[in-house]
Amino acid sequence: MGLDVQELAQDNTVVIAIKGRFDFSLHPQFKDAYVNYTKDNMTFVLDLKDTAYMDSSALGMILLLKEHIEKLSGTLKITHPTDAVYKILEIAQFQRLLTIER
Amino acid sequence: MMEKERRVSQVYTNLALVVDDSPMQCKVLSILLKEEGYRVLTANDGARAIALFVEHQPDLVLMDINMPVMNGFQAARQIKQLSKDNSLCPLIFVTSLDTEQAYVDSIEAGGDGILVRPFTPAVFKAKIKSIQRISDLYRQVKQLQQAQQKDAELAEQLMFSVIESRNYGLDRIGMIKDAAELFSGDIQLTALNPNGDLNVLLGDFTGHGLRASIGAIPLAEAFRAMTNKGFSLNEIVAQLNQQLYQLLPTDFFLAAAVVTISSQENAVYIFNAGLPDVYIFDCLGQIKNKIASFHPPLGILPNLLTDVSTHVQSINDSDRVILISDGIIEARNENGDIFGVARFEQAAHQGVQDSNVNYYVRSRVTEFCQGLPHEDDISLIDIPCGDWQSPLIVNTENQKHHKIPQLIDETDPLWHWQLSLRGQRLACVNPIPIAMSQINEIEGHSEHWQNLFTILTELFVNALDHGVLVLDSMMKSSDEGFSQYFSERETRLKHLTVGMIQIDIRYFKVPDGGMFVIKVKDSGEGFDFSTLDDVLNGAEKQSGGQKNKFSGRGMHLVAQLCEQIKYHDNGSLVEAWYHHCVDSMN
Repeated sequence: MGLDVQELAQDNTVVIAIKGRFDFSLHPQFKDAYVNYTKDNMTFVLDLKDTAYMDSSALGMILLLKEHIEKLSGTLKITHPTDAVYKILEIAQFQRLLTIER
Repeated sequence: MMEKERRVSQVYTNLALVVDDSPMQCKVLSILLKEEGYRVLTANDGARAIALFVEHQPDLVLMDINMPVMNGFQAARQIKQLSKDNSLCPLIFVTSLDTEQAYVDSIEAGGDGILVRPFTPAVFKAKIKSIQRISDLYRQVKQLQQAQQKDAELAEQLMFSVIESRNYGLDRIGMIKDAAELFSGDIQLTALNPNGDLNVLLGDFTGHGLRASIGAIPLAEAFRAMTNKGFSLNEIVAQLNQQLYQLLPTDFFLAAAVVTISSQENAVYIFNAGLPDVYIFDCLGQIKNKIASFHPPLGILPNLLTDVSTHVQSINDSDRVILISDGIIEARNENGDIFGVARFEQAAHQGVQDSNVNYYVRSRVTEFCQGLPHEDDISLIDIPCGDWQSPLIVNTENQKHHKIPQLIDETDPLWHWQLSLRGQRLACVNPIPIAMSQINEIEGHSEHWQNLFTILTELFVNALDHGVLVLDSMMKSSDEGFSQYFSERETRLKHLTVGMIQIDIRYFKVPDGGMFVIKVKDSGEGFDFSTLDDVLNGAEKQSGGQKNKFSGRGMHLVAQLCEQIKYHDNGSLVEAWYHHCVDSMN
């Protein structure tokens, strides 16, 4: 359960990994994970390989992250979602809004 | 009177229950408590303590641990059980057992604190004060929570009167709505288009409760207003999306499926933005089609994506369209298994066969979850596809006044309204709601306008589809051709740069009402309108048959409604006379 932030300084990249359930209870932690990065042109990776479940408020949190990154002209990609999580992203057609690497 | 006195006294003085097998200890603690303003009850064993607790609902319990009949831990557990949902009644153990284990066990048993003898009166009183402070805080929270609950109930009532009570066709459309919380994030809307088409929306706002329902009222208002004005499904969805985008914060959106059932065209239009598959079942309960989400939920993007198109397919009257929210699919049982798509399809299959989809789906979900409360709202809408076209006010032969055309001085209308659209504007503006709103403004509301809406829509669509876009209506005579027709239509509309349609409406006074003379002119080549002779003269009615089910229907209807229809300019200009007979409307 929870959330892991890893900074790859040389690549100007931040990896946020979600473990267990990705839902409203993660809201404050999730926001803290990115809100202090304010450099331009950064890459954010949302690693969902250990995410078992995701609800609609998690989709909302991803949209907030996307908004934050777009203000900094950075890029966001989601990597390795499990099948169950990918299904949720697909129903919401998030592959049309951002990059999802399976 | 007794009741009242007791309640009043309880408000002003707190009641303490002291439980100790030594009458001496009871007495000492009672005196100290009375000095702090408490009224005091005493019990000498655990069982008696529970009886007194139930009867008097004290504000504080002091409990010895070692007692006969029932010891302090057992009594504490039962008391905590009894006061679970009520206000917090703090329970303090008073003991001479000065061990770590006694402390741990006290808290385990539900105690809120422990006082170890010997202690001075000052320490005792301080402890009571601190515990009382927590309990007061708890009471405040409880009161706030109750106030909030009342607000939410009021809001739900308001919401209900604005939304569900105004839905159309509830006697025929089946709906399930089980909210996870009092205030549901799911919204179900139905409304009737003036041409008899039925529009249905099932939406699921992000999250639950009051937060999730902020957008519901403006959504419902826009959905109804646009449906009543006769806007198409695409126009309605585009508008709802734009409105929600402006209204909702970034992380709030509406997953929704919007459906139009057109009895006149025998077709269903489906726009799925973020809901689970939309189902079309035949009368035997077999799945005819599943339409997966093809657009992100509404309110995320400022405008709809341009490379997606509404799903269109032909349907039979006995088909059913079923919309669900993800709450059904994701309903969980105690083992953490989800209800899932297969179980839903099975239940719906049986439900369609037995004409009771609601009952089967609801009872299968309940059975599966075995009393576990659901985490998400559970919503379903089950729509029969047939018989939605409401009866039109058709001018019968007797009512037709064939002499009226001669009575009209065509140069002298009461009013005259005209609109021409070209190229790009023609592709994206629907002139019919604009025309209808003009007519409403000038002549006021009338039941007749439904007929007028049908006539205008048919004439405009014919001019656009066949005159400007040069689509062959014969394509629509098969099921596959029907979908093909609409995708081809969409492609050609997207690339439309030339072409024009002009709508011209004149209104003349006649003795028993008024006469609308409607002219629709398109920039196309025209067509051989002699092929329509049979339709226009009503002969087609007798020849009957289903062969012209799709293509012949529109003009046939217009011919029935109008006094006369004439084609000019090689067929690229159509003129229709509609008699608005005031007397026949009583």
